[in-house]
Amino acid sequence: MSDNRKKILEMLEEKKISVDDAYRLLNSIDSAETSRESTSKTGTATKIKPKYLRVTVIPDPEHEHGKDVDRVNIRVPMSLLRAGIKLTSLIPTEARDKVTGALKEKGIDFNTRNVKPEDIEEIIESLSELEVDVISSKGENVKVFVE
Amino acid sequence: MNRPPVWIRIKIQGERGGFRLWLPLFLLLPLALVVLIILSPLILIAVIILWPSGWGKWALSILRASYQIFCSLRGLKVDIQNRRETVYISVS
Repeated sequence: MSDNRKKILEMLEEKKISVDDAYRLLNSIDSAETSRESTSKTGTATKIKPKYLRVTVIPDPEHEHGKDVDRVNIRVPMSLLRAGIKLTSLIPTEARDKVTGALKEKGIDFNTRNVKPEDIEEIIESLSELEVDVISSKGENVKVFVE
Repeated sequence: MNRPPVWIRIKIQGERGGFRLWLPLFLLLPLALVVLIILSPLILIAVIILWPSGWGKWALSILRASYQIFCSLRGLKVDIQNRRETVYISVS
């Protein structure tokens, strides 16, 4: 039994509230718990594995005809990113050490040897919340998102 | 693992001209397989020679990773265009 229910029953026992009030309060607790459960269920159901990383650049319709504007639509499969990250484990030790040293010189303490398969999955999963939406001074709409 | 892609479409158009390439990979893959089978004894010998130094295992891993990347290309689409140039690459 939850603390709130217990408190309501105690208040009823102490005759601080009427039976009707207790009934109403218990009902409101019930409905709140039901809605919370359904929200968490739909939340897990809608969490889909991301399939593509998309980059789009859409020019401003007002400037589109006048100037030389770029229109970009790139779709990169997540499996390609995954395979690319896995490929870092095949970098020869000498080259890897050079890369690590160069990164350290720039103040970045990162070693590709420490990237594990579970880390890759975590990175890919966290990308599902990525959304970049920038409107440049030229009016171009730059979007980076995952679908 | 993903299935290998079956089509690659490339279209590059510039001010001086361009080209279109429509590559039916499902026809080329059997040919590639035949070439691989023909070359497999040489690959095997190279791997055996390189195995003690550790490079043999690395070479095998590279082959496997290359195939994985090739399969992962399925679904890739690059479409960049402006008034003068167009670059379109689609792997399906």
